[in-house]
Amino acid sequence: MLWLSNVLNGLAFGSLLFLVASGLTITFGLMRTINLAHGGFYLVGGYLAFDLFTRTNDYWLSLVLAVVVTAVLGMIVQRFLLHRLINQELPQIILTVGVALILGDLLLAQYGGNPVSPPAPAGLEGSIQLTDTLVFPKFRLFLIGLALALAAVIMAFLRFSSVGAKVRSAVDDQEIARTIGIRVPLMFLLVFGTGTALAAFAGVWGGAMTSLSPDTGFDILLLALVVVVVGGLGSVPGALIAAFAVGLLDQFGRVLFPEWAMFTIYAPVALLLAFRPRGLLGKVETR
Amino acid sequence: MHDSPRDRRHLVVPLLVAVGLLVLLLLPLIIPSFYLFLSTRILVFGLFATAFNVVFGYAGMPSLGHAAFFGAGAYVVGLASTRTELPFPVVLLLALLVGTALGVVFGLMNLRVRGIYLLLLTLALAQAVFGLAFTQVSITGGDNGIFGIAREGLVPVGLPYFYWFVLGIVGVSLALMWQFMRSPVGMAITGLRESESRLAATGYRVGMYRVWAFAVSGAFAALAGMLDAYLVGSVSPANLAFLLSAEVVVMAILGGARYFFGPFLGAALILGLEFYVSTFTTRWTIVLGALYIVTALFMSDGVLGRIAHWRQRSGQRAGTATGPGPDGSATSSGGPVPDGVPALPAGAALPSMSGSGPAEPTPSRSTASARTTASARTTEPRP
Repeated sequence: MLWLSNVLNGLAFGSLLFLVASGLTITFGLMRTINLAHGGFYLVGGYLAFDLFTRTNDYWLSLVLAVVVTAVLGMIVQRFLLHRLINQELPQIILTVGVALILGDLLLAQYGGNPVSPPAPAGLEGSIQLTDTLVFPKFRLFLIGLALALAAVIMAFLRFSSVGAKVRSAVDDQEIARTIGIRVPLMFLLVFGTGTALAAFAGVWGGAMTSLSPDTGFDILLLALVVVVVGGLGSVPGALIAAFAVGLLDQFGRVLFPEWAMFTIYAPVALLLAFRPRGLLGKVETR
Repeated sequence: MHDSPRDRRHLVVPLLVAVGLLVLLLLPLIIPSFYLFLSTRILVFGLFATAFNVVFGYAGMPSLGHAAFFGAGAYVVGLASTRTELPFPVVLLLALLVGTALGVVFGLMNLRVRGIYLLLLTLALAQAVFGLAFTQVSITGGDNGIFGIAREGLVPVGLPYFYWFVLGIVGVSLALMWQFMRSPVGMAITGLRESESRLAATGYRVGMYRVWAFAVSGAFAALAGMLDAYLVGSVSPANLAFLLSAEVVVMAILGGARYFFGPFLGAALILGLEFYVSTFTTRWTIVLGALYIVTALFMSDGVLGRIAHWRQRSGQRAGTATGPGPDGSATSSGGPVPDGVPALPAGAALPSMSGSGPAEPTPSRSTASARTTASARTTEPRP
């Protein structure tokens, strides 16, 4: 049963990666922005929830406030800084790395360098007896379900809602979307806000699973980036598949070849990018 | 290379270089050793940024993985000096070899990707190298890295001697790169930036020059990493980390990626600022982040680009240049640039990201027109 527990652990970590990557991939999908401050917003969300929970002791209030405040912060960054750099990928990357550095250092100044754990909702403590020999933490099991549900919600939203249709049209052709009266800048703002909200949401859940410290932002960002790239930039179902694949790869890499742990993730990703840059389910670039 | 009329350059440039070299040579006698450490670091990172710019500013490929070369060079020193008795020339050769080999791997892997995919692929490759250093604990020491790298036997004890040693290596390296960029291969690499399709159409094997750029850049970046390991005395995965890759990009852009010495200037600016800011606050990272933001928003053509822009404008205002326009920074005089072709606006100075540059409002449709603008200024004047 050891392998089953490894599979479940891999899936749970993959679920966390999907929570982080979902915001990253929809931000890219519409705005063609690789937001490297995503890890910073992830941290901000987790730390805010931690701080609020120690003050109010109310889990859901902390979660909602952390997500909303981070989304507003993200929209401020988008409106005042990023929106000047539409379609300029390299300057966007530099700018968002700068934002991430500032966020990380502010958190370090405020909360110190020791790891903190954001709260988990009541009822998910402890473990559950799955089979005779396998005991698995409830929280991680729930996380897998949460990732699947979130993927379904995002896909359904993009597929069936009118805002989703506008978002998709803006993805497909920005100019045509503009000419038929879709307010692309407003879409950009909303999408970026949603992306940072998802980052904060992932920060609360992921922080509860792995704990947070100011320097973990870039670690999680790079793994989420891998997920986004492997899934295909901008593809939500691709990101889901890739997240589970990377989670499993990471788990089994750690168990089977601990000396090669990170290499077993990044080297295959590099190969995939070299031969199939659009990832598993990405769109073909029409440039 | 890009700026100011030729005739004036003939007098001014050699003079400036001579004075500059003299000052650099005499530096250890003038300044206290604390500043000398900073100066040595600037030399090392200046070399790193200049090497990076072969791929970035000249070949127009935005790499986000150059820490891999720098770190590889540093780890060569770390392993060689703590585990073997290899003499310095062998270590130097090894570092160059490792850097070149890694550069060839990077170049080959990047043959088919452009723009944002190139950024991500170089990042993934660098992370793979980082992962090796991080997890192969028995060889690399893992997160702790390798300590106790001695400079004994290299140069006489004392920072001034090591400074002169670094100055020599960096000076020779810069001269070699300067010459390389003027060789036929170097000119073809510059052609990659200007118009890859046109280069291919004229019969150049484009892929080969991409690999060339990465190989040369990797070799000199590894050399810089080697010097850094000797300077600091230790190596750690931070020498391979993503943040270092990002920092060298900012150095190149901040100084001016269109200019040979721009990245060097950028390195000096960032390291100098770090030194200055660190004297009164521990929050250097926030300042660095703000600097990234300012660079991204306002300094896309770098300090040197700004200066050239101002000089061009003040020249216009003085009325010295009427007619077809003053000698712009981007179109060097004497070059085969037809009259009436305007210099690119200053905002376009960043190596364009495969058709989604700032000058193009319509990335998907207007590639053809953008390409004609770019190809109108394909070549630099040959010496």
